[in-house]
Amino acid sequence: MTLAETVDRIEGTILAAVSEAARREVRGGYVGDLLSDVMANSREGDVWVTIQKHVNVVAVAQLQGMAGIVLVNGRQPEPDMLKRAEEEHIPVISTPLQAFEVAGILHSLGIRGRRTT
Amino acid sequence: MYALDLHTHTCLSPCAELDMHPAGLVGAAVRATLDAVAVCDHNSAENIAATQRAGRSGSLAVIPGMEVTSEEEVHILGLFPDLESALAMQSRVYRSLPGRNDPDVFGMQVVADEYAQVLGFNDCLLSGATTMSVERVVSSIHDVGGIAVASHVDRERFGIIGQLGMIPAGLALDGLEVSARTSLPAARTRYAREVEYPLLCNSDAHEPKDVGRALTYMFLQEPTTTEVAMALAGRNGRKILGGGRPMEDLALHILDIAQNSIEAGATELDIELAEEIAADQFVIEVRDNGPGMDAESLARATDPFFTTRKTRRVGLGLPLLAEAARAAGGGLSIDSKPGAGVRVRATFRHGHIDRAPLGDIETTLMVLVAGHPDLRLRFRHQIGEREFELDSGDLRAALEDAELGSPEGLALLRETIRRGESGLAREAGGQARSES
Repeated sequence: MTLAETVDRIEGTILAAVSEAARREVRGGYVGDLLSDVMANSREGDVWVTIQKHVNVVAVAQLQGMAGIVLVNGRQPEPDMLKRAEEEHIPVISTPLQAFEVAGILHSLGIRGRRTT
Repeated sequence: MYALDLHTHTCLSPCAELDMHPAGLVGAAVRATLDAVAVCDHNSAENIAATQRAGRSGSLAVIPGMEVTSEEEVHILGLFPDLESALAMQSRVYRSLPGRNDPDVFGMQVVADEYAQVLGFNDCLLSGATTMSVERVVSSIHDVGGIAVASHVDRERFGIIGQLGMIPAGLALDGLEVSARTSLPAARTRYAREVEYPLLCNSDAHEPKDVGRALTYMFLQEPTTTEVAMALAGRNGRKILGGGRPMEDLALHILDIAQNSIEAGATELDIELAEEIAADQFVIEVRDNGPGMDAESLARATDPFFTTRKTRRVGLGLPLLAEAARAAGGGLSIDSKPGAGVRVRATFRHGHIDRAPLGDIETTLMVLVAGHPDLRLRFRHQIGEREFELDSGDLRAALEDAELGSPEGLALLRETIRRGESGLAREAGGQARSES
């Protein structure tokens, strides 16, 4: 399933790297707002559900090779985050839903997390 | 030379103890023999003025500060040149700080005077996050004339690296702080990528017993924010000499003993560290050429209530080192005769679980030389077959025109120690256990 295919289900809007979202296969998911934790525990191809909208979110997603970022609670990215996401071709989606809802919907679509230990 | 703890809280911070009222904080700082503390309550400056007044009666410099929570829940310390500047920052913070405090949930936020009288309660949600991004927090601190330091970068929660994964590129921080949980050498290794930022050690004390548990030594003309800013930038001869944890790091016990020697009149000092990892042995020896001690003083030297000093004490010295040695399966011995100097020898089991970390010997040597440029200091650190030796006489000779206590002299000293110690660490390879 591509990231673009999940967007309607989570009531999201793609704000950056639209064409990339249609290409990217989502292989798993991770929820977290502590970026050091996300760096330690997420994996390549994950969709990342977070409330953090700092520009470093893009850097972490890029570093981990993630499929994209979902900002929950209607959070709008900072302009420099959007700019960086376009440059790095990291899709950014904003949704009014909360993280728990988004994770539940993605899970029902067959997207899974993994055990950390 | 000044000992500063630039991150302490008062009872205004909801997470701090009530006995951290302004006078309580000042009393704890004086007992810890600090020269200055910065009052850095969460998102508020309302107890600074009273702490400054309390500090004046205790001859303690009180630097206005604030620990601001960014929108990303990163803690940034602002240190301000004066109260007005701190209050200007407070106005900006209050405008971007949503919510009201619930004292039953988060704790009381007590505004107090210098006589421990309660003046009132702050009802902002000081434990909450502002709506300012970390970049806005840093630029606001700079706008009002302050300096910005990332708080406790060694903590996952509220530390900038924990919250944001890395320090954002181009963030105009003036320094990074490590807390009492990390020694300075461990911090230098761990944050090697962020090494362009100067490192500070502060206690982040929320109760009196923790004030000064971590501190930074700086070479300043006076303990003010303006001078600290110069030290962080390495300007005008102001300098960060080092830092650490006086209750824990063996290097700071050594510093204390060495300062005792100098105050007693020693002009020459030998400090030797011998680490035999295979034999599970760690020996510290400090020798001086001072006036020595008679039998009675010698017998009482490890009594914590005994001191020959007329001036203030820097730490607990010998009793603390004796305790640290005993806890690590070793012991302490002192040899001295009147007129024949003093030799202190502490032994430890190297791999003992309770053996205190060495900490930062660079700090010890830098503080000694900066404070006593005429001291003849010889240092020897041996790990197994390898050793690093340093003689202040050789450095003085190499300097030609400049004094050893000058910025050039201290830079040469620091470079020599770093080269020697990192060479030792490399040679010792994986033998030495990692210390934090």
